[in-house]
Amino acid sequence: MIDTLLRRGIVLLALFVLLHTGNAQTTPPEGIRKNTPTVHAFTNARIIQSPGKVIEKGTLVIRDGIVVAVGANAAIPADARVWDMKGQFIYPGLIDSYSDYGLPKAPKPTPEADGEQRRQRPVVTQEPSTGADYWNRMVVPQNDAARLFSPDQKAAEKLRSQGFTSALIVPQRGIIKGRSAVVNLGDGKPNDVLVRAGIAHHAHLGGEWGYDEYPGSLMGIIALIRQAMYDADWYAKAQEAYTKNHSLPRPEANEALAALRDVKAIPFVIEVNDELSFLRAESIAKEFGLNLMVRGSGREYKTLNTIKQTRRSVILPVNFPETPKVDSPEEALQYTLEELRHWDEAPENPKRLQDAGIPFAFTSATLDDPGTFLTTVRTAVERGLSADAALAALTTTPARLFGVEKQLGTLEVGKTANFIVTSGDLFAEKTIVRESWIDGTRYEIKPLPEVDPRGKWTIKGEKSSNDTITLALKGEPESLQGTVTKTSPHGAKKEVKLATVSYSASRLSFSFAGDSIGFGGIIRMTATVKPDMLTGSGEWADGSGFTWYAPRVAPYTPDPDTAKPKEVKMASFSPVYPYGEFGRAKIPDQPAAVIVKGATVWTSGPQGKLEDADVVVQKGKIVNVGRNLATPAGAVVIDGKGKHITAGLIDAHSHMAAAGSVNEAQQAVSAEVRIGDVVQSDDIDIYRALAGGLTSAHILHGSANPIGGQAQLIKLRWGLLPDELKFEGAPPTIKFALGENVKQSNWGDRFTTRYPQTRMGVEQIIRDEFQAALDYEKAWQKWEKEKAGTPPRRDLELDAILEILRGKRFIHCHSYVQSEILMLMRVAEDFGFRIQVFQHILEGYKVADIMAKHGAGASSFTDWWAYKLEVYDAIPHNGALMHEQGVLVSFNSDSDELARRMNLEAAKAVKYGGVPETEALKFVTINPAKQLKVDNRVGSLEPGKDADFVIWNGSPLSTYSRCEQTWVDGRKYFDMEEDKKMHEEVQKQRAVLVQKALVQKKAGGSEQTPRPQKRGDEFDHPKHDDEQGGF
Amino acid sequence: MKKAISCWILAVGILATTSATSNQIPGKKQEKTIAIVNATIHTVSGPVIEKGTIIFEDGKITAIETQLTTPRGADVIDATGKHVYPGLMSPDTYIGLTEIGAVRASRDYVETGRINPNVRAEVAVNPESEIIPVTRANGITTFVTAPQGGLISGMSAVLMSDGWTWEEMTLKAPAALVVQWPSMTINRGRRQMRSEADQIKDREKQLKELYDAFRDARAYMTAKKAEQQKGIPYHNVDMRWEAMIPVLEGKVPVMVVANDVQQIQSAVAWATPENIKLIIRGGHDAWRVTDLLKKYDIPVLTGGIHRLPSRRFDKYDEPFALPKKLHEAGMRFAIISEDEAPHERNLPYQAAHAAAYGLPKDEALKAITLYPAQIFGVADRIGSLELGKDATLIVTDGDPLEIMTQVEMQFIQGRKVDLTSRHTMLYEKYKEKYRRTRSN
Repeated sequence: MIDTLLRRGIVLLALFVLLHTGNAQTTPPEGIRKNTPTVHAFTNARIIQSPGKVIEKGTLVIRDGIVVAVGANAAIPADARVWDMKGQFIYPGLIDSYSDYGLPKAPKPTPEADGEQRRQRPVVTQEPSTGADYWNRMVVPQNDAARLFSPDQKAAEKLRSQGFTSALIVPQRGIIKGRSAVVNLGDGKPNDVLVRAGIAHHAHLGGEWGYDEYPGSLMGIIALIRQAMYDADWYAKAQEAYTKNHSLPRPEANEALAALRDVKAIPFVIEVNDELSFLRAESIAKEFGLNLMVRGSGREYKTLNTIKQTRRSVILPVNFPETPKVDSPEEALQYTLEELRHWDEAPENPKRLQDAGIPFAFTSATLDDPGTFLTTVRTAVERGLSADAALAALTTTPARLFGVEKQLGTLEVGKTANFIVTSGDLFAEKTIVRESWIDGTRYEIKPLPEVDPRGKWTIKGEKSSNDTITLALKGEPESLQGTVTKTSPHGAKKEVKLATVSYSASRLSFSFAGDSIGFGGIIRMTATVKPDMLTGSGEWADGSGFTWYAPRVAPYTPDPDTAKPKEVKMASFSPVYPYGEFGRAKIPDQPAAVIVKGATVWTSGPQGKLEDADVVVQKGKIVNVGRNLATPAGAVVIDGKGKHITAGLIDAHSHMAAAGSVNEAQQAVSAEVRIGDVVQSDDIDIYRALAGGLTSAHILHGSANPIGGQAQLIKLRWGLLPDELKFEGAPPTIKFALGENVKQSNWGDRFTTRYPQTRMGVEQIIRDEFQAALDYEKAWQKWEKEKAGTPPRRDLELDAILEILRGKRFIHCHSYVQSEILMLMRVAEDFGFRIQVFQHILEGYKVADIMAKHGAGASSFTDWWAYKLEVYDAIPHNGALMHEQGVLVSFNSDSDELARRMNLEAAKAVKYGGVPETEALKFVTINPAKQLKVDNRVGSLEPGKDADFVIWNGSPLSTYSRCEQTWVDGRKYFDMEEDKKMHEEVQKQRAVLVQKALVQKKAGGSEQTPRPQKRGDEFDHPKHDDEQGGF
Repeated sequence: MKKAISCWILAVGILATTSATSNQIPGKKQEKTIAIVNATIHTVSGPVIEKGTIIFEDGKITAIETQLTTPRGADVIDATGKHVYPGLMSPDTYIGLTEIGAVRASRDYVETGRINPNVRAEVAVNPESEIIPVTRANGITTFVTAPQGGLISGMSAVLMSDGWTWEEMTLKAPAALVVQWPSMTINRGRRQMRSEADQIKDREKQLKELYDAFRDARAYMTAKKAEQQKGIPYHNVDMRWEAMIPVLEGKVPVMVVANDVQQIQSAVAWATPENIKLIIRGGHDAWRVTDLLKKYDIPVLTGGIHRLPSRRFDKYDEPFALPKKLHEAGMRFAIISEDEAPHERNLPYQAAHAAAYGLPKDEALKAITLYPAQIFGVADRIGSLELGKDATLIVTDGDPLEIMTQVEMQFIQGRKVDLTSRHTMLYEKYKEKYRRTRSN
């Protein structure tokens, strides 16, 4: 046993020694020293020195792994080994700009489970941490690719087959992942192949996260990155203070934060999963002054102009979608237009980046098989990317981005001898990478044999014959094809294909059916090959042998390419945003003036409800509401006869348009996370809600935690980007939550340990947090005054809490039962502020008088009840009762579906409790505006306010009414008529793309399996705040 | 005559403010003839009668007149300015089988196992459920309560929103056999843990299980019937297959829960040779296969109207406009809410939403009255105001499909029903709190 192991060990060792060709000077030699000369001259090649710089027929000379001469007339040193590269191309070695080569792989993200599955999944226990790390194991900037790296021959071979000779290797674990290195892809010890360490810091907006550890959401990831950056800054200062004065309390030791010391000095690469996260990465970079590069997603074309404006460089994957599987009409229904268009346009992403002047480098990352890399890059070239730009993205650009441009990227004197030999133009479909040279060492991929057997030979035998027998060989050396032709003196030809051919070590053998050219049976022949002569023997069908020889009559010339040039089909449709369904080519116009004439106008303001009235809008603002108003010159006139006009509806409780989970459910307090970081402007539910008259929505964190995250008010400007949806100047808000959700009552049996598990604990954790914020403030005040001692640490969580205490941030608290409602008001009063709004607040009617006195608003469900114990006393008269007691009441949706018909929710205040109709409508217009402190801008039709309004074909409180038009900022964002046309366009584009996919498939394209409907599905978490028993 | 009426108006007033401090007591059996006069009568099956009279005795409608008629000895209700409609019917819910969603102990609608044709919804209905009066208050007098889960979930039943026991509440049982059609689409989401092959395998397994259940049941029926012949031995009773005999005989329909077009297509392909009376429930994609459904005259319980479109590329109003499309295709349909049981009271407003998007208003009303009654074979009893039908009706101050309309009175088989609920009780209780606060 031991014996075997030993022997195996020795074999491995021997193998290593054999392959070890490097120059690790400090390593003692194994066995005798190897001193083969390292001078090579490559002649007669077409040399592409760098993108656009070509030597048609030149010589390249390398010595000791360095290029020493290159040119049409470069002198060949007398000590050089000469390689004739006739007919072949030499390119600088390619660089893979984002690779996990030779590094420990990231653990696969746990597939997320919904509902019951999630509740039942066993808790994943963390491995105990060792060393002075960051508190969160997803922050590991101390990881260093150069230290973790161990060359992997098999992976290297795969990458070399695609022409790569170097790679940027990036640590795979965590969210802040550590520093990358550039390595060469030759065999050898890390010492031999490491080109440069400490290239860049890396982070990932996505990937390795789930429900069981903080962060469990995209916004949590961003918050964690942000806090770690501040912590690194603090750490440096604290350590500095301590170094100066050792009598200070010793600040914690932290390897991770120490490793971030150079975070601004070197590039910071953020890996993103889509084009919106690109913009999120940009925000982070701006906040901290980082030298950002983005590991892109291949979806950059969707927000190209904005990405261009960031002036960032992109590391670009080329993982193009496979052809959609649309064989049956039913299967086709599984593809959205967005997906079909992505399939149609993704291969043009590189071209569009090139056209926009965005610098980019290619990576094989995200390809299931890196061995398909060249094929996909060629597709990009086919689809309009210039070959020079493609080459630059693989050589000079990455070399520059990673600061190795003096060593890598071009074939110039003094640079590393990293290059590849190809059979032709690198970006042509059939070109083969024959060999690569790395640090002056040769790696064979599909090399040409030293003696090429291809070409035409005349076979001569022992007996002379009048017939001429010719052997023709073509194809690739490892897969030769050939024919034998017999030509009679009269010129009659008979030809037979070789049944088998093999060629190895200058030894050729083949067989063919002799009958067809006048011999019997199957004839087998063998020969040794010299450049101009074959010499060999053979065997007839009867077993008797013969000898033969064959002089070369013609050198090998490849068959002319008779195939028709491939018809390239470019993307079928022009860009819109959001991509696919109901996207817009441009934002709707804002007419200089608009007048709606003769309508029933529900102003939700002091004018009440006006019959036969007009609304005048100028430059996006309402300027007048009343009867018989003058029509401004050039105004767009809308006939309002029989129509009802209301202010745009406002939903004070929504979870639409947020990427990722709306709950950062791993900690009971998550005040540091911000919905504003994850606004998702392409959520189709934005458009659908517009079609129901909604114009503003307050996007809240979920209710998993007593103190949730910071909320974001948006306007439903469908077609604009996340930052443009944000309601300008809206006062900041934050989500709190009480009751069953935060004490995890309905989360399943394994959720019984997080504090708090009772309403008693809920009160205490909230009090504790407010108290901590006050203490935090004191510490800062002391520091600002004295500037002595250890500086306090900036804590984003406590910052947010302090803003509440200082009246700069307003609480929207999920709540149900009267005890907890009263409790929170009393806690707030103890800390000298008030609760802005209670959300859901289904037992608000029981303490409405106290709420009114406290000054809390109520944003309520109208009539939801009985889905869990704490809502068993919910009654639909809640809104009316609170309203009567003087509470400012709104109705909310908490549902993308309900958000489409908030006007009908208002009608329920009339039904249950008899609120007058115009007051009831205010529950979804001016009242939520007041609760969100934006009533100076929206919520009613009054002069000076934003022209956010809705045209209904009947009373907004009638179930039979329809929303016909929705205007935001004086721009028409929804129109029933326009919607019809847009839908027709959607249908048309789908039909065209489905046909295109079917044709493509017929032509032999690989096939995609349908993907889920919702994009960014890794972020596809439950969107309800309060679905039964959960969030 | 006029005098008599005004005195009755007073009586109505008293009746309408039934005690709010006690739980709702089931309606008393109708003893006296009742005449509702001066009402706008929406018969649903016939024309609307202005200022008409509807008379019922012993729980049955005995007269519908176009003029004022007051039989001797009858209680006369002057409904001037009011409307009379047949009671609304929810064609699909699980009211009575649940109380508080998150509380496991209160959930009685999913039995374990996949083949449960023998379980009967009505026997688990809790007449004391607070959800029943809440739902009834919005005009829903009748509902089909259905088990869920597995492949064959069990037998649904038609119940009335009033009664001391489930037996008293039951109008018809079994109403339909509930079948959950397996998912026919492949989930390729990144979070999907099962491979495509595994999903197909699982789907095929479920389909086979479903097909086999029906074949086994048929074999059982054949064997049991053959027992009457000489020499054929007795076969032990199998509760599952015994329950399915009326289904196989075409006496009880099969309600298949199917939304995706592939589910609908395969359910139809399965049901046709089996000679089964099929009802499609959900039918979100039904508008894509109206020809097929029409060809076999398969009714669809469609909804919810209040849901998001099935697909990103669908028009925003795809769920709203679905009933219109079915109507225009000449199909039989009814409207369901697909909502949680406590929210079933909003069914009428879902129907109205379909009308807002193109379904004629009278069709929207039929879709929650006459049409479901026809589909479940109870149109001889309910669904419209016709002679001989149950006096199951509502008196309202307007269109019951409008949210702001109040249901003022309700009769179920002539029994006057209490329209208060847990909700109105709590409402009154806290109104009292604030009355006291004010007076302090």
